[in-house]
Amino acid sequence: MAQEPGASLMDLITSDPAPSGNPTFPPLGKSERPSKNVPPRKSNVQMTPELLSSIKTSVPVKTSLGLPKQKKKPVSYSHLARSLQELSASADQKTAAKQLVHQVFPKLAVYSSVDPSLAPSLLALHQSSEDRSVLRYVYYFLARLLAESGAQGVTPGGGLPTPNWDALADLNLAGGTVVTRAEVVPQIITQLTAEARNAEPLLHPRRIAALKALSFAPTTSNDVLSTLYEIVFGILDKVADAGKLRRKKGMFGRQSVDKESALRSNLQYAALSTLRRLPLDSGNPAFLHRAVQGIACADPVGVRHALSVVAELATKDLTAVAMAVAKLSLAGGSLQEVLQIHDVLARVYLARLCYILSRARVLDERPEVKSQFTTILYQLLLDPSERVCFEAISCVLGKFDASESLEDRANGWVLLTTAILKFPEPPSQPAKDASGGAGKDGATKEGIPPRGPKDRQAPRPRRPQPLIKLVMRRLESALRSSSRPVLHGAVRIVQELGKSRASAVAIRGYTVDDIVQQDDMVNPTADINKGDDEAGDSESGHRRTVSMSVAGKESIAGMLASLIEGVRTTTACECVYVRAAAIKALIWMQSPYEPVEELKAIITGELADPGWPAALLNDIMLTLHARFKATPEMAVILLDISRLFATKVPGKIDSDVLQLLWKTCLVGSGADGKHNALEAVTVVLDLPPPQPLQMVGGRATDRADPKSAIALQRLVQAAVWFLGENANYAAGEYAWESATSPSTALMMLDGDKMVAAASSRNPTLAGAITRLQRCAISGSWEVRIIAAQALVTVAIRSGEPYRIQIYEFLHTLAQGRTREKVIGAEATNGEDQGASGTGLSSIIAPMLRVLDEMYKGQDQFVKDMRQHDNAKQEWTDDDLKRLYDTHERLLDLVSLYCFVPRSKYLPLGPTSAKLINLYRNEHRIDANAGYNDPAVATGISDLLDGARVGRGVEYPPVNMDTGDEGNVTSEWGNNQPGVERVNAFMKGGGTDAPGDDSSEEEETRPSVSYDDMWAKTLLDGSDSSEDEGGSSGSSSPDSAASSRHGSTRFAGGLFTGGHASRREDEHKTHRHSSVTSGMRDMSTKSESPKTSGRKFATSARNDSMNSDSTTRDSPRMSVDAGSDDRQEPQFGKALYDFTAGGDEELNLTAGEELEIEYEVDGWFSVRKKRPGRDGKIQGLVPVLYVSY
Amino acid sequence: MILCVLFTNRTGNVLLERFHGLPAEERLHWRSFLVKLTTENLKTARDDEVFVASHKSVFIVYTVIGDICIFAVGKEVYDELALMEVLNAVTASVKEVCRKDPSERLFLEKYGKVCLCLDEIISQGALEHTDKDRIRRLTRLKPLAE
Repeated sequence: MAQEPGASLMDLITSDPAPSGNPTFPPLGKSERPSKNVPPRKSNVQMTPELLSSIKTSVPVKTSLGLPKQKKKPVSYSHLARSLQELSASADQKTAAKQLVHQVFPKLAVYSSVDPSLAPSLLALHQSSEDRSVLRYVYYFLARLLAESGAQGVTPGGGLPTPNWDALADLNLAGGTVVTRAEVVPQIITQLTAEARNAEPLLHPRRIAALKALSFAPTTSNDVLSTLYEIVFGILDKVADAGKLRRKKGMFGRQSVDKESALRSNLQYAALSTLRRLPLDSGNPAFLHRAVQGIACADPVGVRHALSVVAELATKDLTAVAMAVAKLSLAGGSLQEVLQIHDVLARVYLARLCYILSRARVLDERPEVKSQFTTILYQLLLDPSERVCFEAISCVLGKFDASESLEDRANGWVLLTTAILKFPEPPSQPAKDASGGAGKDGATKEGIPPRGPKDRQAPRPRRPQPLIKLVMRRLESALRSSSRPVLHGAVRIVQELGKSRASAVAIRGYTVDDIVQQDDMVNPTADINKGDDEAGDSESGHRRTVSMSVAGKESIAGMLASLIEGVRTTTACECVYVRAAAIKALIWMQSPYEPVEELKAIITGELADPGWPAALLNDIMLTLHARFKATPEMAVILLDISRLFATKVPGKIDSDVLQLLWKTCLVGSGADGKHNALEAVTVVLDLPPPQPLQMVGGRATDRADPKSAIALQRLVQAAVWFLGENANYAAGEYAWESATSPSTALMMLDGDKMVAAASSRNPTLAGAITRLQRCAISGSWEVRIIAAQALVTVAIRSGEPYRIQIYEFLHTLAQGRTREKVIGAEATNGEDQGASGTGLSSIIAPMLRVLDEMYKGQDQFVKDMRQHDNAKQEWTDDDLKRLYDTHERLLDLVSLYCFVPRSKYLPLGPTSAKLINLYRNEHRIDANAGYNDPAVATGISDLLDGARVGRGVEYPPVNMDTGDEGNVTSEWGNNQPGVERVNAFMKGGGTDAPGDDSSEEEETRPSVSYDDMWAKTLLDGSDSSEDEGGSSGSSSPDSAASSRHGSTRFAGGLFTGGHASRREDEHKTHRHSSVTSGMRDMSTKSESPKTSGRKFATSARNDSMNSDSTTRDSPRMSVDAGSDDRQEPQFGKALYDFTAGGDEELNLTAGEELEIEYEVDGWFSVRKKRPGRDGKIQGLVPVLYVSY
Repeated sequence: MILCVLFTNRTGNVLLERFHGLPAEERLHWRSFLVKLTTENLKTARDDEVFVASHKSVFIVYTVIGDICIFAVGKEVYDELALMEVLNAVTASVKEVCRKDPSERLFLEKYGKVCLCLDEIISQGALEHTDKDRIRRLTRLKPLAE
């Protein structure tokens, strides 16, 4: 770990030859140098005032420069400051300069900031000294002074903390005056400005240095800014058309540079360099004009700065830049000349500029100019520098910055696979071979008049090459490099390749590729059009087919396969970061139609390496997210891969991100893939439970890393919970969607036949129930609890025969017979499983009572129906009231266990719907509001918003994703970090500092979601039940309240009990707080996530609800008052980019503010604040894409 | 932007550092992260062997010459390959200033010159000069072309 910064720098401060008896400060300088074999001394000395004073007194006074022996060499900051002050006023400039350059300035540079008290001395030296070395240091320190003054004390440089108090004190004692930064900065600016305006040719190096130092001044000041602009434009007015350096023949035939042109070139460079640092003035034509002129600058760094400025301007004012550069380009071909410049970043900016301009619509009418930009961009693919080549590939692929759209990326892939590079006609001079003759100076690109050797034969004209072939060759070559950065860069580009291909598949319907028509000679402009046309065909529904290598012609698939093989070999690199990038690239290159085993094998192998940092693993998880977003049909494959992470390195991955992946994949896998997606999630359940210590030969052996085991257990818990919550969604099975009564015949079947019938009717749900049953028996105690809760959730939500199947199972389980019956052979993990064998009896009891109540109610209802039918009696109001009471009571009971849509859910069976509605209509009862039970009113029902009744959307597709307000604090709320991480990753952001491993573990290993979910909910629930003095678990669940209290005592009802009681407390204490904030404090019970969209009330519904509320008791009124607030429009924010798939849908950009109007079947109807690019302002977007 | 250039000795003591655009509170994390990389990789590294790392969208390239480890951290246009250019410029200048692969002592002796070179190579978080001859001229306040 880093020690005190600059600890070793003490050596420098005390650079006198130390006496032999002082081993801490060995001699420095020419006298004696340590042998290279001697290991460097650990210098972890802290600079303390005591130490400093001891240094001052103990260090001898001899200097290596032959200065008077009596004079002490400066060893402390105050000494340095004093010496600077003295030497700046010294009459003997030569000696003073030596001392300053060798003794004072290097030591002052060690300190983290430049004290303003030094400024007067520095300014004096600036005026008086003629020594260039001294002056260079002076400019350096003045620039630092200015930079620090602009950064509110944030020092860009590190080093020892500057003890300015020391200097100030000493200087004051010496009669000096205290100077502040605010005082000296204007003086420095004035002095530097004067020098930067000095047009004396001989002094132009000083002028350039002064201008550079001045550019460090804080540009928040308009005065400074205008001064800088004035100086820069003043210089450029005179030298911007300097052109190239003129050379002339000197003595003995040697060439020398014309001084005048050199001067102009130097000044132009300095001005352009400063211009780049100044704020971009995009509306200023002079700014653009000078920047474009700079492209023809003789100085390569000046060209780079000019291109950088122009490329940035092009993103803001494309039309003006396109016209200006086109004019320049046509006039003198300066852009082509940049290809020869020996400056990598200049060519990088050239690639960017050419990419932007080649897409400029404003140049559509000037195809010759546009094609010139395209040609240059393509030529940069052959650049000898990997950096430039990769930038050009990125640009071709549509990867420019993080803001590019999927359409851009898809176009990029089309362009790459269809465009052909036609090499420009070589001029009279021979051209070098591109692949072999790539010189270091970058002057040997295709079509560029080379300065090459004359002994080469004139090359034959090169055949046009498919772009993709060039790119693949280049990437493969880079992947064989021994340089790690090159490897890393290459696999990153492969990743980008995969992203563009995925976009093309998603948007354009491309599957993979076509045969490259190598013989076509098409100019680049035509190629672009070709790509567009093909894209248009594809949009109209044409789907391309994969074609492999065909008789002598190389297919894209073949090339890609070869490239992927290259990436695979890269995973053998010893650098874990390169391997991580390679795996990401492989994930992006994975086709949904190809086997994934090889990738899984690679990842499995990598995960076995304990050296992988958690951050890198989570990056790969985020890559899975991004891949899913690009290719939703890969949901199952990606889940399969994510399973590897969940099982191999559960302690290192971020469970928030993993759960978010599960959810998004389940939603995104479509109707056909839901089953597979659910199965892929639940494979986690097949893992053996974490093994505790085992005794081997009398010694305890640790079978697994305890942290990993705990993390794995949490993941299993999460998977079980997920399964229970989403099984019905995945299976498309909801009790309230069934219009017919449970089949009596089916009910009469015995258990085995019933299971078989259930499996045949809905294998997804049957499979989920079976898995949950296994977990309820064989998992760890924590898992068993969740499995029981998940089962009762499924039972409540499902129709028959699933409900009765679960009922029977739970009943058997409660009696302790199931374990032996069902699995028997499972090894125990040593836990006390209670009398029932599972430890769940008391937890299951209240669940069974709820189901009992439902069945009893149904029986009674059937009897009443028959009685009325036989007697041919009408249902009286009293009869209906009794029926409605039972309905409501049962509804309240089940609502305590999981979310069900109150207006649709019929605990007495579908046949009760008519009578219940009759009663409701007669008594004008809001179907969604429930009855006036205060416990319900303060507990669950205020989660529900009456507004949803009339819209028929009352249950979310996936409860976690629905984002109702209660949910915000529970699963979704806890997943917010995951959402944020995914968003940040998708945007390519994330420059925050890496955390320490220890803190990283703290962040990632304990699952926030499940800590909250289990620790808080379970424990709080128990506590709250005790506080309330609730009845025991054996109390009769005759009323909602007693059931609630009973359930709080046991895990089966822990959620709901704790939940409801906390709600009551909150309700009392925070009655006036907003509904939203109240809900945010709610527990994490699984039912809370299910109320998606309920808050999106139509005003009509709220009106009726409010009118009803006036007749209710006070708690109800309070809740309704809360719902008044909900009449306000709901606002949300787009979480991801979303591309509309139809007319009704609306494009979204991540971060966009939205007004949510209502929700329909997992879609929000939203309104943007302003129309998007497509002109649409309102439309449907998936619920999952909106946070609110 | 070049976020950071850091020089340490082989034992992880920071000798020289320049940060750009990084909040002060993040610097310690970066320092720790970089030094950890040193301890993991550089002990047996050959001179001039270039290493790469990444953290989110930030790239890190580092190498060791003599007793000195040099790190460059960048983002956006300064990816791993652009940072190699930075690193090459820095190592070339350090070698030129020290006239050989520097020992820690030699590096400290030339500390001032190294600072001046760094000032010419990186300016406000952007790469300026890469050519060692140009850097040498500028540190001596000589014109670039004459």
